[in-house]
Amino acid sequence: MSKIKLTMLVLGGLLIGIPNLYAAPTPEVESPEVTAPEVAAPGDAVDPEAPANTASTKEDETPITRSELQGVRSEIAVLNDQLTRQLTRTIANTNRALLIGGTLQNRYSATTWQNTTPYNLTPGFSFNSAILSLSGNLKKDYEEGKNIDYAVGLSAAGNVNPTKTTTGSTYTTSIAAATFQPTDAYIKYSILPSLSIDQPYLYIQLGQQKRPFGVEPQATEDKQPAINLATFSGPTGLNLSARDIGVQLKGDLLPVVDLGYNLRTPTIEYALGVFNGTGPNQLENNSGKDFAARVNFNAPVEYNSDFRGLTIGSSFSTGKQDLAVIGNPTQFISGGIGKASKVRYGGDISYVASPIGFTAEYVVGRDEQALSASNSYATAVTTTTQSSGYTLTLFYEWGEQFQKDYRSQSRSDDWWPKTYQPFLRFDHWDPNTAVAGNDTTVLTAGFNFFFAQTTKLQMNYTVSDNKLTKVKENDFILQFQYGF
Amino acid sequence: MKHWIKLLPIVSLLFMSVSAQASDKPSVIRFGLVGNAYGKPYTSGPLGYVNEYGLLEKEFAKDGIKIELSYFTGAGPAVNEAIASGLDDFGSVGDLVVVVGKSGGLKVKYILASGGGSNTYIQVNPASGIKTLKDLKGKRIGVNKGTYIHLGLDRILDGVGLKEKDVKLVNLNAGDANNALATNGVDAIASSADRPVVDQGIAKLLYDTRKAPQYQSSPGGLLVSESFAKKYPEITKRVVKVFIKGQYWASQEQNREKQLILGLKTGSSYKNSKDDIADQDLKKKYNPQITASVEKKYLEIEDFALAHGIIRRKFNLDTLFDKSYSEAVLKELGLQNYWEK
Repeated sequence: MSKIKLTMLVLGGLLIGIPNLYAAPTPEVESPEVTAPEVAAPGDAVDPEAPANTASTKEDETPITRSELQGVRSEIAVLNDQLTRQLTRTIANTNRALLIGGTLQNRYSATTWQNTTPYNLTPGFSFNSAILSLSGNLKKDYEEGKNIDYAVGLSAAGNVNPTKTTTGSTYTTSIAAATFQPTDAYIKYSILPSLSIDQPYLYIQLGQQKRPFGVEPQATEDKQPAINLATFSGPTGLNLSARDIGVQLKGDLLPVVDLGYNLRTPTIEYALGVFNGTGPNQLENNSGKDFAARVNFNAPVEYNSDFRGLTIGSSFSTGKQDLAVIGNPTQFISGGIGKASKVRYGGDISYVASPIGFTAEYVVGRDEQALSASNSYATAVTTTTQSSGYTLTLFYEWGEQFQKDYRSQSRSDDWWPKTYQPFLRFDHWDPNTAVAGNDTTVLTAGFNFFFAQTTKLQMNYTVSDNKLTKVKENDFILQFQYGF
Repeated sequence: MKHWIKLLPIVSLLFMSVSAQASDKPSVIRFGLVGNAYGKPYTSGPLGYVNEYGLLEKEFAKDGIKIELSYFTGAGPAVNEAIASGLDDFGSVGDLVVVVGKSGGLKVKYILASGGGSNTYIQVNPASGIKTLKDLKGKRIGVNKGTYIHLGLDRILDGVGLKEKDVKLVNLNAGDANNALATNGVDAIASSADRPVVDQGIAKLLYDTRKAPQYQSSPGGLLVSESFAKKYPEITKRVVKVFIKGQYWASQEQNREKQLILGLKTGSSYKNSKDDIADQDLKKKYNPQITASVEKKYLEIEDFALAHGIIRRKFNLDTLFDKSYSEAVLKELGLQNYWEK
């Protein structure tokens, strides 16, 4: 039976139960409502000798009769019956607890450029992506909190460029259908007890998931600060934000708990994983596996420390990939499948506090590549290409949304704290550090406005300079990211 | 197209530069309050009365000052967080919350005592096999850590020779604790008087502190951020005045029933609330003065919390209490001799 259904039935039961709590031949309270005149509101000058207001109307003291009470019970029973029937007919069921979520992005983009032919992308509106996420619990361990959870995500890119095929003087347009691709698809088990906040946690996670590397690469779509990924993290860089299929252990040590603020800060967080290395939704294509590991140290301080939110981390990843030709990563050498080495490492420091903060991340990639396309793997001459990227993001924010407990308020309305977050980001990517003048820089000035529980407005203005192609681009993107 | 795009960053920066105007009075006074288990924006006792009749709003309406009340489901620790982050100016919290907050460096003053003698209730799941307090050893107990109930639980455990490390504490807010108890998520919970799971016959009440005043809470109180009090001492005094009016009303035996009725708005059970304070002297309970007895109790809490690892360091209580506001208001209202010193 679904949780919703169970909850509604319990509520119905409670409705029936409530009169029992108050039922008595002469109830002590007839009405929970108090009107102002009944209570003596002290004035500006309180007279300590004045007796308190003891006036109660006779109506207040009139008890209801058993038959009246029975009538109320009958009406509630009828309502409960109607509710039960309605639930049976109209409420969806799941075998286990399920949380359905989603993230959608609508945007307006405009681009100006120098030194290149005009884009086929003209300023306009677009639907960037839709992400559907399902998560829940498969087994709940009441004894120690060694729960088994799951997460499934599906993502579809909304922007599809029409393909134009020219025949003679006419052309036809074909539009590829947007398809949902799995993003997350993993099962997670808590190896250590997770009921106590002052004990370390340890989880094992199996399936398609983010690899334990860096800060921005691990941020899910709804948590990324800027609209575009840092170059090293995206597909034109080292593609570290892509998901992979494998298994990872992730946990923490030496948690510092400040009970005054319900704050838990693990001093050390670590993660270690083994992955196919072929990316999301791909079968393994070689006998080797990728290993990725990350460790970060959080300042072991209490809530009021100026160092709260300071984190220093380091990541490392190694594995095999198909041998490609240098300068052309999509051209592969015959017989070189899974034969080329691939190493990534990096460091990061972040200070996520309010109202100011920053994140800085530096990543190096070392890829074995063939010098020429003319050889087979047996005769190929290889070299190691080193690439590097770094990004620095500075932000300032005001508002309440990032205060952990501030959002959890009892309210009668659909209140949600507003938060404003301007930021600046400098992003640098060099695909081959041995070659001068081939790097790209991207400067982004942005503003995030969080105005509802799952919705934010993002404005990004980016100035990018690709020294290799000499192309300079200015982009303005306005995006609503909203979820459910 | 090209030109207006280039202007956008400038427009954005202008938009970002909106900041609060300095003034001799605040445009809004923000209060952090402890929410209840049912997610309703109400509270009981003197504050319930103050809120019900909008006494704060009336007091500051002529100045054009707005009143904002936040009821946090995260209870006292959430109030501490809001004050520490500059999002609230005042907080009404329990005794242990004051101590752990101040021990952690929270920049507040305790300016008014209120609501002492709050009880802690131990509810158990019958399937847990717990028959006595000693049977709690090794069991999972749900409690909202850092609150006066956490302190009450530790004191109760201490009374039967148990320490926190002898049990498995699960940090849960009031609503989640009730759910966990009902679904066997925990073996027991420590709570306030409200006990819907017991009322439904699913759980049993094992113990409560109604007959054990040594385990009851010390007066919680009204906190004000040091920066607000320093900047707006007169406003702070007027806030204290409104609160003392509420406590004066709640202190009168004739208003006991009305307090209980007001408390129904929180979703709490009338019967449980009534039984909870049945033996209590309301005038003593709602004494707003920061007496020597209050100071002594806070010293005891500090020592207990330090010894039990709830706080890591002591602090000078003189940096916490500020009696000046309550003493001035009591004199102004002619109430300086109404409550026991």
